Amino acid sequence: MSFWNYMEYGAWALSAIFAVYIVVDWLRTDATYSEEVLTSSREGELEAITEEHRS
Amino acid sequence: MANFDITSKERDGMGPHGTQVGLLRVLGPAHVWALGVGIVLVGEYMGWNFAVGKGGAYAALVACWFAGILYTCVAMIDSEVTSTVAAAGGQYTQAKHIIGPLMAFNVGLYLVFAYTMLEAANAITAGYLISQVAALTGYAGTLDQQPFIVLAIVFLAWLNYRGVLATLTFNLVITAIAFSAIIILFLATSGVFGGGMMRHADLMADNAALPYGWIGILAAMHFGLWYYLGIEGTTQAAEEVRSPARALPFGTLAGIMTLLIAATLTWYVCTGLIPWEYLGDGTNGSVAPLFDAARLTGSQPLVWLLGVGTLFATLASANGCINDASRAWFALGRDKYLPGWFGAVHPRFRTPYRSIVFLVPIALAFALKVPLDQVITFSILSGLLEYTFMPLNMILFRRKWPMGKIKRGYEHPFHPLPALTLLALCAITFVAVFLGYGTQLVAMIAFYIVASLWFHFWRYRFVNRGAQFTMPWPRPEGY
Amino acid sequence: MAHYVAPKQSKISQLFDVAVLLALTFGALYLPLLLKLAGGGKSVPDGAPTTWEGMGQNATEIAQYNALGFTDPAAVADIINARFDYSFSWGALILMFVIIVGYYVMMLRLSDREYRDVISEKFDK
Repeated sequence: MSFWNYMEYGAWALSAIFAVYIVVDWLRTDATYSEEVLTSSREGELEAITEEHRS
Repeated sequence: MANFDITSKERDGMGPHGTQVGLLRVLGPAHVWALGVGIVLVGEYMGWNFAVGKGGAYAALVACWFAGILYTCVAMIDSEVTSTVAAAGGQYTQAKHIIGPLMAFNVGLYLVFAYTMLEAANAITAGYLISQVAALTGYAGTLDQQPFIVLAIVFLAWLNYRGVLATLTFNLVITAIAFSAIIILFLATSGVFGGGMMRHADLMADNAALPYGWIGILAAMHFGLWYYLGIEGTTQAAEEVRSPARALPFGTLAGIMTLLIAATLTWYVCTGLIPWEYLGDGTNGSVAPLFDAARLTGSQPLVWLLGVGTLFATLASANGCINDASRAWFALGRDKYLPGWFGAVHPRFRTPYRSIVFLVPIALAFALKVPLDQVITFSILSGLLEYTFMPLNMILFRRKWPMGKIKRGYEHPFHPLPALTLLALCAITFVAVFLGYGTQLVAMIAFYIVASLWFHFWRYRFVNRGAQFTMPWPRPEGY
Repeated sequence: MAHYVAPKQSKISQLFDVAVLLALTFGALYLPLLLKLAGGGKSVPDGAPTTWEGMGQNATEIAQYNALGFTDPAAVADIINARFDYSFSWGALILMFVIIVGYYVMMLRLSDREYRDVISEKFDK
């Protein structure tokens, strides 16, 4: 096997590590926090308190 | 609520509407520049040269400048609207407040498509580049590009998942390197310091000047967009910049200026070194034109510099695309335009993590299975539909909330001239796309029509009506 | 206007909606490719020349091809000879514009109808 063959396997292995990290963290996060907290983000929070508009 | 500070560390991310975990406000103008330019700069490293194939070198220059005008209009319009409507989702949120829910749904889909396809195109180029490096270092076999394509996408998804500040700081560094590489290549080859190796006169002589005549210039407009496609993505960061009203116009306008320079220099160097037929064939000929131009200089350091530049540009772009596509998808989910499940924010990393994860396999499916020019065309078509929406958006914005009625972070001059120019240039580009890719265009629009009907008659029932309008503005005029 | 309260969507229904959207997406993007209707291809005319002179390449162009690693003109002949065909029918072009304009008109009208609901619910308290 040449250097580039090792690189190919290395790329597959690294991809797998990153993918596993993401999936494990995702499932763990979903299990730890309630859905209400996770999806509580609302649009326009900063504008609601800092902007003043003439009406 | 007046004494409530959303950026304070104690109540970080919480807000009066009930947000307990929101996106993190950490970015500055430089990050906005890096997001905008980072996504686009890859367009100079690959893809724009299809415009040369469409109409020859001069046609590509005309397309470069006309598309430059188009995008200057886009940047002006975007800067005004988004410095006023600052929320994740960018143009989607603008459309929701200014035109209406169905338009917003369509715009959200344009954004996700344009960026996800661009991300796929970047991964394909990164894979190709690594196979080239393998060949240059004397590897005899054919390198399997798939693991590198997968690695590029999964690594960047991981980076995005872990937090926006690291993601865009990474982008800032690699974008700056890729941009410097273009400048250095120009300085080294153009002869400003003597020893120029440009051969424009010979390479563009006789038939090579305008091989298809005037229609070639029109056709080149299609890929002319590729020089700048994605600069409008700066607006996606709106909810994560510390001071949107200042940072967004600044970053966006600085971005378009950077790109106008980079695009023209790229055209100059590449057409002065590479015969147009080879340059214009981005599939079998020059996949990475700046890299090829560096090879033709015969200078080993330049070859390495532009090789690294190409790789960095593709990574910066894919990185920005993951960021933007996931923000748009997240915003759609948050408003229940898409299943609300996607509207989740990671409590520690403060990123729209479910949207990031969801889009990974889609990008992979296109990166691994579809040829580059088709992927680019999907991306350009979605972008084009989005640019056609922008002038409509701008005209209605000024009509529903005239100047002085609400506070705008930035007001662009000469309205409605930029909007009308943009509309006219979009119409020209539709003809250009029609000349080669009419079937895809019609298929794409058929898709949006079906999706629109699906949204209007089914999906919209899950959306709360009045709550969608989140900006603290007065009632629009005429409603 | 009465305050509209959106129903809560079940997990299964959410999943189904995502599946519909994905099917539409892949359908629209893959169908032209699968049916071989995707345009954009160039073609090489029959009997096209394969020598540098025949293809009208001047000394500079030949030198650049050599520098790129192509010393045999036949190796790049397909790239040099390939041309797009820009012939088109006006009818198809007009049809395309009708479809595009129709799409935007439909979208603006339906959006406006939904927008009026949003505004009246938001501002008529």
